Amino acid sequence: MFDKFREWYENRHEYAKDWKEKTGGKVVGYICTYIPEEILYAANVLPVRILGGHEPESIGLAEPYLFGMYCPFCRDCLAQGLQGKYAYLDGIVIGQSCIHIRQTFFSWRQRIPHEFDHYIPMPMNVVTPRASIPFLRKELEIFKSALERWLEKEITDDDLRRGIEIVNKNRRLMKKVYNLRREPNPKLTGLEAMYMVVSSQLTDKNEHSDAIEEMFNNGLATRDLGRESSIRLMTVGSENDDVEFTKMVEETLGATIVIEDHCTGSRYFWEEVKLDEKDPLTAIAERYVTRTPCPQRDWEPERIRFRRILDLIEEFGVQGVLLIQQKFCDPHELDIPALRDLLNEKGIKNYFLEFDVTVPVGQFRIRVEAFLETFASDELFAEDIV
Amino acid sequence: MIAVGIDMGAKNVKAVVVRDGEQIGRSIFETGFDRYVSARKAFEGALQDADVGEEDVGVVVATGAGKKVVTFAEKQFTVMACNAKGIVRLFPSVRTVIDVGAEEARAIRLDETGKVIEFAINEKCAAGAGAFVEAMARAMEVEVGEFAQLSLASTKAIPINAQCVIFAESEVVSLIHAETDRADIAKAVHDAMAARVGAMSQRIKVQKDIALVGGVARNIGFVQSLKTFLKEDLLVPPDPEFVTALGAALLGMEGEESD
Amino acid sequence: MDSENKYPTEGFKCWKKAKELRLQYYKNYMQAKEKGGIRWAGNAPSIDAVPYGLGDDVYHLTGEPYGATVAYNKEFARRCHEVVEAKGYARDLCAYMRNYWGSVLLNEFVFGGPFPKPDFMWVLHSCCSHAKWYQEASRIEGGIPYFVIDWSAGMYYKWDEKREDYVVDPNQEHRIQYLVDQMQEGIEWLEDITGREYDDEKLIQAAKNYFESTSLWAEICTLNQAIPAPMDEKTMYSFYVFAALHKAHREVVEFYKELRDEMRDRVARGIAAIPNEKARIMTDIQPPWGFLEIYRYMESYGVVSIGSFYTFTLMGHWEIAEDGTFRPRTTPMEKGIEIRTREDALRLLADWALGLPMAQIFYDHRFKSHIMKKIFTQWKCNGIIMHFNRGCEGLTLGVAENKQALVEAGIPVAYYEGNMGDEREFELATVKEQITAFIESLGLIK
Repeated sequence: MFDKFREWYENRHEYAKDWKEKTGGKVVGYICTYIPEEILYAANVLPVRILGGHEPESIGLAEPYLFGMYCPFCRDCLAQGLQGKYAYLDGIVIGQSCIHIRQTFFSWRQRIPHEFDHYIPMPMNVVTPRASIPFLRKELEIFKSALERWLEKEITDDDLRRGIEIVNKNRRLMKKVYNLRREPNPKLTGLEAMYMVVSSQLTDKNEHSDAIEEMFNNGLATRDLGRESSIRLMTVGSENDDVEFTKMVEETLGATIVIEDHCTGSRYFWEEVKLDEKDPLTAIAERYVTRTPCPQRDWEPERIRFRRILDLIEEFGVQGVLLIQQKFCDPHELDIPALRDLLNEKGIKNYFLEFDVTVPVGQFRIRVEAFLETFASDELFAEDIV
Repeated sequence: MIAVGIDMGAKNVKAVVVRDGEQIGRSIFETGFDRYVSARKAFEGALQDADVGEEDVGVVVATGAGKKVVTFAEKQFTVMACNAKGIVRLFPSVRTVIDVGAEEARAIRLDETGKVIEFAINEKCAAGAGAFVEAMARAMEVEVGEFAQLSLASTKAIPINAQCVIFAESEVVSLIHAETDRADIAKAVHDAMAARVGAMSQRIKVQKDIALVGGVARNIGFVQSLKTFLKEDLLVPPDPEFVTALGAALLGMEGEESD
Repeated sequence: MDSENKYPTEGFKCWKKAKELRLQYYKNYMQAKEKGGIRWAGNAPSIDAVPYGLGDDVYHLTGEPYGATVAYNKEFARRCHEVVEAKGYARDLCAYMRNYWGSVLLNEFVFGGPFPKPDFMWVLHSCCSHAKWYQEASRIEGGIPYFVIDWSAGMYYKWDEKREDYVVDPNQEHRIQYLVDQMQEGIEWLEDITGREYDDEKLIQAAKNYFESTSLWAEICTLNQAIPAPMDEKTMYSFYVFAALHKAHREVVEFYKELRDEMRDRVARGIAAIPNEKARIMTDIQPPWGFLEIYRYMESYGVVSIGSFYTFTLMGHWEIAEDGTFRPRTTPMEKGIEIRTREDALRLLADWALGLPMAQIFYDHRFKSHIMKKIFTQWKCNGIIMHFNRGCEGLTLGVAENKQALVEAGIPVAYYEGNMGDEREFELATVKEQITAFIESLGLIK
């Protein structure tokens, strides 16, 4: 049922090239999910997220341009570009993000040919919205003007409303699919969810939304994966599109990832733009300031993201949490001790794993298996009491 | 005028004797606990090989991580300076030399006189040096020589992450458990290490011709992988581990001549 | 080694005063509560002019210089790292931050006694760690209130094709407003948590001090263009720190004036930092604080470090003149701008902070490469030694690209890896070997 999304995920470059040929439109690569895709859709430009290729042998290509302690993901992304895999991109944009991935953008901008580039200084401060929203609104206006100059056409408020609706609709549909993961016998696996969300970052959202609707028409809601007795896990952390790891957890070890907090997962699409009667740029600015923050901009003492993680654990019936962190990812490293303290305090089992471009699946299998065994012993213990 | 260069490596001490710019003797000794004794042995061995007496020696130059213990040396130079000087003597066209030893790797860009222009050394991890291959060969229970040979039989590219030896070893063990072909694993290890050394080299401006020296240059599997990574041919001298010691002797000579 | 001494040298007359001032700064912070004063903690770039509006008895502790002081005390630093790692923090995080947290967790102040907790924290955020540093510090100190101002409002400069140089981007208004709005909210917050009435006059005076002290520092650095260099970078570290401690304090302005005058005098009399100056290098990024002996090692070969983009622009404010000269930034007072109201002061503070050259590295590494080339030329350097500092991912943003650009420009460049605050990641012998090879390549060792 999710094959379409897997195909898109696996053949992302072919998809984008075909789209260009078919529509004659422009494709813009983006780095980090803090990019207002609404404005790109308004301009009929296809935004695609630049991701890594999980190929350590090509990572070396990025070496001359990146500091040795920057995360494997940012190196992998740049290495993809340096190999010419994204040669079809007409432009690249970034919504100000962590400094590692910024370096990817900077080096890409300098070294890989393209027509258009833009850096949006997305505010880091999302806890003082009275300052950040007007600031971001102005930056979005600058971005829109830059696009207009490049494309030689005006982007009207109606275009913006259309762009917002395209992206919002896709968000609503993905959330509807996610609701099916709450059920005792989840209607989709974590791997399927990953294919869906990541491919939403790689394809035309109109087409992507159609594919989701088609799944519903084909009985997604009544599907039976026979996973009612599987251990329900949540993954939390940095960028994660590691298919091999997810397969190992769900196929080899039989657990089910029922929800996740990644920028390649729920964090990407959870909140919609609330348009109301507002000026569309203000509405977009509000969405990006008030969305579930990435750890680097989560400055509240209680952390906005943690509250949401606890809510998701409750709503999705999560039994245990896998904390997944890209090696050297400072924003997550700065949240993990506090998050582990919180989870431990709430009695929620959790286990920490550090990810690289490739993961040692064998070693991780033993570790995750041991983690899952702790749930089984809980049950044994419960039976003993009975 | 006779000069002796002594290269105090992490695994071996190498000594080269040069008379009027020509190499006339050499010797290699495993670096023992007492590094002074090892240095003396290599020094005496090289003199014997050259058939000259200690009293004939004009200047002794020490280089390498343990160069300070060579108290009988009149001069010291860095490995980078010696590498550069040694390689232009052997291959005058070389502008980049990559030196991979047991525990260190470095890349040096030089000019036609053998003067260093810039250099890079590997970060503090053995993943980009000889000890890495040795550890992986051990995991597969084969000799390093055989391990290198094995690698040539494979055409597959299996990704292994060589950012860290520990991490890589567990990936290799996973591959062994998955009953991956041994030749493919050997190649994967050499590819991973080549990616690491190649990446380190690209931190400098790599200019042709490129030479590979140091003990690991004897590993034909690694040489092949590095050529593929750099998409360039590599010149490998017949005795790659002696290039630094040769350069040391030549540098010693130079100074004496100008005095 | 080189013994060819051709220049007269003498110690800095204001050295003793510098030591006293630094000691007094920490003492003031430690003893603030005894006199009913306020003490706060924050990062070195934080706009300290704003809390000065709370009164004259407000003292603060900046985290980076504190972290560096800890690093200098290797045994204490080691204990800090151990306690921080035991709490589950990654060891690749900012070394200053780990030293600071370690000190909090051990409840030991590096100057003796228990760690003196601040009343609040006041932070300016640009790298990934600034806000989170104090968020976590607050958590482990039991909930100390903190306020963070986001500095990452975008690039202050833009490339001008015609001039082939950077010029100030005229599109600043909303960026300034963003910082002003945050500071306005910050002042309300300060009043709220301290219960004190805010004094705009004190704010205005502190703002003036900030403009003056940070421009003066640039002027002091400019005097080091002289041959022989009157100040070596190791000494510069001891002086630049005042701007990192409390740049908006009048005392720093007065001290920098004295230092500037002494530098002028040294230049006039040809007093050198090292007697055997043969080659001049600049460095890059924070040094490994526990191993400043590498500078003495270079000096033994006649190599003097005249400074760096780091020592010049972390706290110093500069501008690019029309002829391309990199020079001290003209202060609002020098421009004849009158500062009458809180709004006036905040706008100028925002504009000043946004224009810091170091802050530009977060938007484009090409700016830093460009300025480094200017420094190389204006300060008459022979080479550059860069520290790829594993202890600070913020300031290492762009270093690999900077190196590429400098090599491309034909400048002799060497780099070494290390850590400013965690000696486990620094190997003295290896780094000395690299420095020696570089000095060899400059033709200074035969």
